[in-house]
Amino acid sequence: MKGKGVKERITIGVDTGGTFTDLVFKAGEKWGIYKLLSTPHNPALAVLAGLEEVAGEEIKSIIHGSTVATNALLERRGAKTALITNRGMEDILEIGRQNRPLLYALTWQPSPPLVSEELRVGIKGRVLPEGKVLEEIEEEEVVKVGQELLEKGVESVAVSLLFSFAHPQHELAVGRILEGMGIPVSLSHQILSEFREYERTSTTVINAYVLPIMKNYISHIQSHLGSNDIMRIMQSNGGSISATKAAQEPVRTILSGPAGGAVGGLEVARAAGFEKVITFDMGGTSTDVSLMDGKLAMTTEARVAGFPVKVPMIEIHTVGAGGGSIAYIDRGGSLRVGPRSAGADPGPICYGKGQEITVTDAHLMLGRLVPQHFLGGRMKLARGRLEEPFREMATSTGMSEVELAEGILSVANATMERAIRVISVERGFDPGEFVLVSFGGAGGLHAAFLARALNIPRILVPRDPGTLSALGMLLADIVKDYSVTVMVDTTIPGWQEKTQGALTSLKKQALRDMEDEGVSREEIVLEPALDMRYKGQSFEITVPLTKDPLKEFHRAHKRLYGYSSPERPTEMVNVRLRARGIPPKPQLAPIKEGNSTPPQEAHIDTVRSIFQGVEEEVPVFSREKLLANNLLEGPALVVEYSATLVIPPFARGQVDHLGNIILEVEG
Amino acid sequence: MNTSPILLEVFKNRLSSIAEEMGVTLQRTSFSPNIKERRDYSCAVFDARGNLVAQAAHIPVHLGSMPLSVKAALEIPMDEGDMVMLNDPFRGGTHLPDITLVAPVFVDGESPRFYVANRAHHADVGGMSAGSMPLSTSIFQEGIIIPPTKLVEKGKVDNKVLSFILANVRTPQEREGDFSAQIMANTTGIRRLQELAALHRLDKVSFYCTELMAYTERITRETIRAIPNGTYSFRDFMEDDGIEPSPVPIEVTLTIEGDRAILDFTASSAQVRGSINSVYAITLSAVLYTFRCLMEEDVPVNAGLLKPIEVVTLEGSIVEATFPAAVAGGNVETSQRIVDVVLGALASALPDKIPAASQGTMNNLAMGGFHPSTGRPFAYYETLGGGTGAWAKGPGVSSVHSHMTNTLNTPIEALEYTYPLMVTRYSLRKGSGGKGLHPGGEGLIREMEALTEMEVTVLSERRKIPPYGLMGGEPGSTGKNLILRRDGAVMEMPGKFHGRLEPGDRIRIETPGGGGWGKVQEAPP
Repeated sequence: MKGKGVKERITIGVDTGGTFTDLVFKAGEKWGIYKLLSTPHNPALAVLAGLEEVAGEEIKSIIHGSTVATNALLERRGAKTALITNRGMEDILEIGRQNRPLLYALTWQPSPPLVSEELRVGIKGRVLPEGKVLEEIEEEEVVKVGQELLEKGVESVAVSLLFSFAHPQHELAVGRILEGMGIPVSLSHQILSEFREYERTSTTVINAYVLPIMKNYISHIQSHLGSNDIMRIMQSNGGSISATKAAQEPVRTILSGPAGGAVGGLEVARAAGFEKVITFDMGGTSTDVSLMDGKLAMTTEARVAGFPVKVPMIEIHTVGAGGGSIAYIDRGGSLRVGPRSAGADPGPICYGKGQEITVTDAHLMLGRLVPQHFLGGRMKLARGRLEEPFREMATSTGMSEVELAEGILSVANATMERAIRVISVERGFDPGEFVLVSFGGAGGLHAAFLARALNIPRILVPRDPGTLSALGMLLADIVKDYSVTVMVDTTIPGWQEKTQGALTSLKKQALRDMEDEGVSREEIVLEPALDMRYKGQSFEITVPLTKDPLKEFHRAHKRLYGYSSPERPTEMVNVRLRARGIPPKPQLAPIKEGNSTPPQEAHIDTVRSIFQGVEEEVPVFSREKLLANNLLEGPALVVEYSATLVIPPFARGQVDHLGNIILEVEG
Repeated sequence: MNTSPILLEVFKNRLSSIAEEMGVTLQRTSFSPNIKERRDYSCAVFDARGNLVAQAAHIPVHLGSMPLSVKAALEIPMDEGDMVMLNDPFRGGTHLPDITLVAPVFVDGESPRFYVANRAHHADVGGMSAGSMPLSTSIFQEGIIIPPTKLVEKGKVDNKVLSFILANVRTPQEREGDFSAQIMANTTGIRRLQELAALHRLDKVSFYCTELMAYTERITRETIRAIPNGTYSFRDFMEDDGIEPSPVPIEVTLTIEGDRAILDFTASSAQVRGSINSVYAITLSAVLYTFRCLMEEDVPVNAGLLKPIEVVTLEGSIVEATFPAAVAGGNVETSQRIVDVVLGALASALPDKIPAASQGTMNNLAMGGFHPSTGRPFAYYETLGGGTGAWAKGPGVSSVHSHMTNTLNTPIEALEYTYPLMVTRYSLRKGSGGKGLHPGGEGLIREMEALTEMEVTVLSERRKIPPYGLMGGEPGSTGKNLILRRDGAVMEMPGKFHGRLEPGDRIRIETPGGGGWGKVQEAPP
């Protein structure tokens, strides 16, 4: 396994999850997977133990998706953080956008701001929209503020001044002074050089809040690595950056786990010959979906822990439906599933403790989960515990138990179908042109039904779906995102020069940074883009910066919203640049070939399952024993350690050369 | 057909998501700050008879009024591809800036099987002052009145009608863009309903539309049943109508009888000269909003919500204004007070659930003039958040919009890019929340300097009569409107005023705090 004698580096993707830490690695021609229990009190322990196990003393290249920054934010365990802003604007962080999250909530409480009132400090200095200075900052005042913050035990400082993206000198000066005093600083124009002060401030404050923790974590791991080892950190934008950069800008790593899954889904689909992909990751409590039209879909409108995070992230839409989602009849007589979840404790009824019916229970009720093969037979499923609660709920609604079980799955599917419609149909994409890449513990139980409802003809179920996120990290590009607000009216001559000027300085910065990342010139791809809108609108559309960006914009507006108005003046709001370092990528390994009939030893069982109220005999196949080209006619079940794939009567599967199962669904 | 709890849930999801998707299209492509930033719009789906089936959660002030718009629009026969618009407050509208667009949905070549509608607050519809939210005394001063009129015929915009309207407003290019956004929002709704009817059978979709109304009605009745039977009264005031200085009482007597609620507003003031009159649709919306808040579930808002609730008003009163009353501010200000009195009445029935008064105003601020760099007219309109009321289990929230509105602020950097204004202060108004066992939320302070000369109109409340506290909690602080002249003079302005700013002058709005809940605990001796 350790490939002794091979001089090549061992490349490792490491994904820290709540339960497991997953490692996917490639040494020479050989791929491997290693899973161990996570160590939530100190996630580095599991990571280091895993690295030791798969690579020992070999020279390593590691891409790590860490939840350290995310958890520090969600659990409010970040650094004692201060905010320096303009005088009179100290409360912007708390005021937010003045709206409430729920319309019909008479009583609610917002999350308290990450910086408390006494640590929000206003200073002199004011810049106007075009970058003109109305009032200069005073260095003595900044020094005094720094000393006071030190006395208060502040560990990290965010600096966010109005229009800093148009005139960064004030923030830079404040940064220099504070760094000179030994305080770590996050400057808003470096984290997010875009207008809209609340969102920029929020993003910068989150960066400052998680920075010391991330820094410690990274240096802890690095102190156990060899001097020739390289570690990169996965970002939420689907690319990695150097550990040094990640320690300075940890806000870019928030939500890196789901990003790994999306990249993994896209890369596996590409290797199998698909470019248009919808990923479908269904777990115990929630489901993540993402659409990729040949490339990762990005958003700058994400919120984490209730706060806006405006750095680009993979657009992942999450809904509260998973295997553990609880089913109940509400006061109006409607069958609801989720968002409440039985979680791991007490868990579904069939796990032995739960009292409320869950999605997982419905699958077992219908014979679509096979107790003797669930988690390799290690976990006992109590089918007998289901009868009483199912009878009770079914009787109260005038349904049979089977109708109820299939109904629970229909309602769960409707929730997930809505999620996929939001990212496809509502964005002007026809799901029928996409392949559904299904993973996560519960994905395979629902994928075929969901695909049929959405007219998606094809589903790809990758091998080892549980470690797809770690694989995505291993295959991720090195990515840096840049942006700057320019706000130019395209009816006023000279806008091209202004846009080009902004782009040129972003490019310079990008090439310098990619060099620091160790990427050679020929491996760098620069992707410029523009955020545009009709003058007077408030929402921008990001379009690639081609020869005729206006045409691109009108076209995109039409696709998204059904119409365009080429006679209307447009506005260039932000110039964006994505720099991708594309290192040579390891090839996924093919599996052994067979013919259309699965080998005898793959057919491990026969069970009775129910589809559309009809019980039938259904063969059970072992995923590991299937060979390329094997055909699987529905109905059939395919089991592996962490997942079950249901092939209903209206679908058929075939194993491809990489071991993926490709399901074809009849409309 | 038997009702399946499964299909009920599936259709609930699908129909609500159609209304929501219409809203996304409208918000993202519109030009009025009121629509795109303040989300002052509504989108809804109706059945063949014009009953509301599902309305997206956008802004509560339209809850009761959308069905009345559709009923008014149905006076005009519509063919496939037609859309009818209207804004007449006395024929299905609310106030003139809210323009509603209604479209029939044809499925099988027969008569319309559904309708979709959206209503959006346009930034200007003409009238005596920029922004069309004037201190008026008659509807004729408030802008162009549009009776139900076909804007789109067989898929084509009627340019004669459109140019007639555009000739009557201050920023025609923006209005045209907003109409495009409204047409497209309806088009999205039509397409989705047709897809739904094609996927399931039409009779099945229609059946579940009816079932969905029955579903909401059942939950509404359950919710009312949880309120103790009895009669509860509450009175509060609009402090003035902007013309006469006297307070204007609004009073409700709420009777709960089993699963029915009757709200009698007949003891409220007669309609007034100033623009704070509310048409019946607004009063209904405020009542429905309050009852919807009592439901914990994610319940679709539709005709079922109305069934168990009766709202009694007198024609020609402040809560059922008649032609030609001025109504511009009824929508934004009086609606908040109607919520205050309904909540006040409910507080004696449900003391553990109902919060003290929130700021009770939207602090409408409109400024306009000519941009010094382009010479073109500009119109800026903004509403400001304040404190919300505390309740039995916790404090109020600071600096947010409450009840009938939930709009976003204009970011300082967005504002300064667009208007000749500079924000000099934007902060919490410390100490403005009412004291109590649980204190009310704080108001906020927004101060701006004019960079050129401009006119300013403020329509605000709770400057004299504070938001009430409950159970011994103190009221929140009243708000303040100040003009700080360049020479240092400070002028305290009334709650509703129209004035001028010279370059260097500043306007400063301090918004009210929320009411406190419970007596302040005395420190033990």
